[in-house]
Amino acid sequence: MDVINMLLQGFYVSIAPTNLLACTSGVLIGTLIGVLPGIDTVSTIALLLPFSYHMNGTTALILFAGIYYGSKYGGSTTSILMNVPGEAASIVTCMDGYPLAQKGRAGAALAIAAIGSFIAGTIGIIGLTLFAPPLAQAALAFGPPEYFSLALVGLIILTKLTGTSSLKSALMAAVGIMLGTFGLDSLSGISRFTFGIDELDRGFDLSILAMGIFGLGEIFTVMTQTNSPPEIPTIRIKDLYPTKEEFRRSVVPMFRGSIAGFLVGLLPGPAATISSFVSYGLEKHCSKTPAEFGHGAIEGVAGPESANNAAIAATMIPLLSLGLPFCGGTAILLSGFMIHGITPGPTLITQQPDLFWGLIASMYLGNVMLLIINLPLIGVFVQLLRTPLNILMPLVAVLTLTGAYSINNSILDLVWIIIFGIIGFFLRRTGFEPGPLLIGLVIGPELERGLIQGLIISNGSIWTFITRPITSTILVVGASVILYTLVHWLKPFIHIRKKETRQ
Amino acid sequence: MSEKTISLFLFSGILSYLFFANQLAFGTFISPKSGFLPILAGTLGLILTLLLLGSQWRTEKTTQQPEMDWTKFIFIIIGLIFYVTMLNMIGYLAATFIFLLYLFKISDTPQWLLPLAIAASTALTFYFLFDRFLAVTLP
Repeated sequence: MDVINMLLQGFYVSIAPTNLLACTSGVLIGTLIGVLPGIDTVSTIALLLPFSYHMNGTTALILFAGIYYGSKYGGSTTSILMNVPGEAASIVTCMDGYPLAQKGRAGAALAIAAIGSFIAGTIGIIGLTLFAPPLAQAALAFGPPEYFSLALVGLIILTKLTGTSSLKSALMAAVGIMLGTFGLDSLSGISRFTFGIDELDRGFDLSILAMGIFGLGEIFTVMTQTNSPPEIPTIRIKDLYPTKEEFRRSVVPMFRGSIAGFLVGLLPGPAATISSFVSYGLEKHCSKTPAEFGHGAIEGVAGPESANNAAIAATMIPLLSLGLPFCGGTAILLSGFMIHGITPGPTLITQQPDLFWGLIASMYLGNVMLLIINLPLIGVFVQLLRTPLNILMPLVAVLTLTGAYSINNSILDLVWIIIFGIIGFFLRRTGFEPGPLLIGLVIGPELERGLIQGLIISNGSIWTFITRPITSTILVVGASVILYTLVHWLKPFIHIRKKETRQ
Repeated sequence: MSEKTISLFLFSGILSYLFFANQLAFGTFISPKSGFLPILAGTLGLILTLLLLGSQWRTEKTTQQPEMDWTKFIFIIIGLIFYVTMLNMIGYLAATFIFLLYLFKISDTPQWLLPLAIAASTALTFYFLFDRFLAVTLP
């Protein structure tokens, strides 16, 4: 009952004209960046951080959250129409969405994706409403050792789930932690790795790093690729109606995808992307006609598109209740919280209930807005896709650079953004996933604080991290993941050794 | 550029990081100092890079890379360096206009009139948006 009362209070906050405008703008911008390939959610939020300085904290966060979950709606458009995923979570949608478009069912696939996203988004937000407050309550019992173990295990799981190689992801997370140590040490106040440059005292700005690695890195990729973009089919409103059969076949995958997506969203890593792959596999496994998958099965669109939206809502749970971001999107949202002097975590619900519940209520509203926006405006988004990339990318490049400059009015930030842009470009080209680097940068200081404070309060005894009930449970999970990875990694060596002995 | 080159770049970067981290006080387990985590993280990074280099040398498998225009890439970098260098000298409006026009031309935008018009209007719009509307002091 208390939850309902608080949620109603949240709706009162979220329908304030400025907040409603922020929510509408957020979901519109989110849909746009989801639609346009080459523009990333993380870099867009990073780019818009300076725009929020003059806003109220709640309004700014409603705007950023709108961009974050809105982008997952638009991602399906290019996947279905052009076989080009608007963002990573929509890669799976290409597999059946594009064949459906080739069969003349692009409109129906887009409509099913939008309806599935709405249902899953709503289920995800209900989960967020129900689970975030009790988790935050439980997190009040967390001390530095608990935060340390949670951050550590979060990073371990993240490296296992991200990218193609656990080793590369782990290395990226370690590099992120190292970059997080640049600047003034928050515990001792000593300058580290600043080399006498005063501007380095504040360390590497998360938004600068994100805009460089994700934004500029993506601009380099798109502007230098030699292949020409595919043709875009014309979509009319009447094409958007799915047949009764298509709708019947999509209902169960939508709900199944929602639940699977929500559960995956609670794990560290690129939850939206992973959940869509999990849901695709699940649908193929449950289907009576698995051979149809890859050739235009509507379930292959309904399930994954639902899953990635439910996952997005779930990723907000650790951020809001523990203050720990476990994916790039929530990491940059945390940056938005910090700019406005708000610390997400266990005390957020009790100390700033208007912000917490207002944000959640805005997600309910935004989700409805997205359904309303997406179906009739799909034709407009398709037109936007016709914007030539050789015009669009230079404009995004200048916007990124101007946005980066405006954060600290610093030319040095522009130098960093170019360096990070080049690094991000080469990292992605060589299969190094930059996501863990960003998370490592955000979680690194939390990890250091937890480790050092934990050691100080336990008089240097490392056993504190193992013997406390919560930390031991969390660390057992981490150890199991490491053990599994090690066994998996050593398998080829053992296999070769066995072969040699046999010979 | 191959994966091995990136791994070697990371290896040298982490090695330099560890060199500077060793100049910070490590402290003890009872009283960890500012070099405690940097040394631990650097050592972990070094081990991971060595493992990665080892596995890369063992297998010749490389990530499939899409084709790209390297000349265009170098020209974009030159443009970016020019932009950052010129920003304080000639001001935001002029630098952004020239930089945009340059980017349009190297990304093969045909003719001159349209790129000129878009570059001029974008520079002006961004200037008013950031400098006047958002009160950001642009050079």
